[in-house]
Amino acid sequence: MTRRPTLRVWALVPALALVLAGCGDDGGDGGGAAGSGGPELVNEGKLTNCTGLPYKPFEYEENGEVIGFDVELVDLIADKLGVEQEIIDTPFDGIQSGADFNSGKCDISAAGMTINDKRKQNIDFSDPYFDATQALVTKKGSGIGDITQLDGKKLGAQNSTTGFDYANENAKGAEIINFEDLGLLLTAVESGQVDAGINDNGVLYDWVKEKTDFEVVKEFDTGEQYGMGVRKGNTALLDVVNEVLAEARSSGEYDRIYEKWFGTKPSAN
Amino acid sequence: MAMSKRKRARVVRGVQYGILVAVILVVALTANWTKIRTTFFDLEVAGDMFPEVITVGLFNTVVYTALGFGFGLGLALVLALMRLSVVRVNRWIAGIYIEFFRGLPALLVILAVGTGIPLAFGTFLDKYVALMIALGIVASAYMAETLRAGIQAVPRGQVEAARSLGMSPGRTMVTIVIPQAFKIILPPLTNELILLTKDSSLALFLGASVSEYELTQFGRVALNESRSLTPVLVAGICYLIITIPLSYLSRYLERRTGGRKLGTPESTEVKA
Repeated sequence: MTRRPTLRVWALVPALALVLAGCGDDGGDGGGAAGSGGPELVNEGKLTNCTGLPYKPFEYEENGEVIGFDVELVDLIADKLGVEQEIIDTPFDGIQSGADFNSGKCDISAAGMTINDKRKQNIDFSDPYFDATQALVTKKGSGIGDITQLDGKKLGAQNSTTGFDYANENAKGAEIINFEDLGLLLTAVESGQVDAGINDNGVLYDWVKEKTDFEVVKEFDTGEQYGMGVRKGNTALLDVVNEVLAEARSSGEYDRIYEKWFGTKPSAN
Repeated sequence: MAMSKRKRARVVRGVQYGILVAVILVVALTANWTKIRTTFFDLEVAGDMFPEVITVGLFNTVVYTALGFGFGLGLALVLALMRLSVVRVNRWIAGIYIEFFRGLPALLVILAVGTGIPLAFGTFLDKYVALMIALGIVASAYMAETLRAGIQAVPRGQVEAARSLGMSPGRTMVTIVIPQAFKIILPPLTNELILLTKDSSLALFLGASVSEYELTQFGRVALNESRSLTPVLVAGICYLIITIPLSYLSRYLERRTGGRKLGTPESTEVKA
């Protein structure tokens, strides 16, 4: 019996840990590299990039490394800041709702993300760095040529993307299946779980290069442009991003990277 | 050290209260309450989610879970009987199955069934069927062990009595042992149902049409349309609507059968 009070004291340990954790949090709030005069970063010495993998050829993993068009562009920005890029793979809804920036998870998002008004309410965009349209992919010989021919059929789209919105507006007769990421969407197209898939043209053309049974049957002239996202009001970082993008375009670096990932030079516009 | 036992107990209690108050104060003072309110308790956003969050989200969560649980229970019964079988190979197969699927995350099983089967066999697999199989497999691995324990917990005397009445071993199992085993394992089965309800959230990885959204996916799609995290909170509350009554049911069942083995008068004294 004499030992019981001692034992009870142990019950306090978790509570104490909580208190300490609470204090630690409090102290760490003002973190970031403010001293160097550059933009504040959520992780000192790192430019943290929130993106959604896989989104080939913009960002995807190969041999344990995340590579791609977006990744190389962000590397240019990281170089400018004199830091390393760190990539966090995260669901797209967290990026476009601004939650990932507001919660201090990342500084920037280069995720093949179209600039649109809905997203502008939540995050700030860089200057456009890529032109894209929506496109429809389907199995060769399926007879499907357009989004209007999908009545009663299943059309796969990716959650929180402009393709998902486009499908909901334009494929009224189709049953739209909402997938978590591009990989799951394309697997479903391949396995016949859906009759067709909608996504940005860049990634779909890249996919059908390998999956020769499938083809991109239609592009919809949605005139979209990709931009990199930052936390709303983070003009310090945004200025650097825009500066780097402009420099890359004028120096020919942008064209080189573009050709590396898409096999062609960017059309002049 | 000269404190009496009672005094020491009082000090310990005082310290516990003190720390509790300190934790609450630290959380209350450091949290940004206006931000929390607008982030999680945006009534307008919450209002927009009704009634679909119930008629679609909650409904599908219940349907997926029920399908998986039903299928899993059937599978578990077969596995439990195989585990107790006199045929050694049956025992092996059941044992390997249980270890294998108990050790895998539910997400992997769902992806393997939902995207692997259609790819491997070139067939279309309905989402409801895919989830029934996948969640059933996940649940069956756990329930098989529970069921086996339940079957073994039925007092030997029950089997002996049934056999001496002239029942065949099979009939004894079906009419005497299994019903009593189920009575014993009702509380853990209810817990498994709670776990499965939460696992059904992984269905979102298989993709879904608007009418197939379960609670988590419903909440996440609603998240896209709003700036706040309120949809997540609403979805969470809907889960609690299912799980809290279930856990009460589980506790009630446990009390009712607790500490007492069925059918053995000598062990009916209350232990708990």
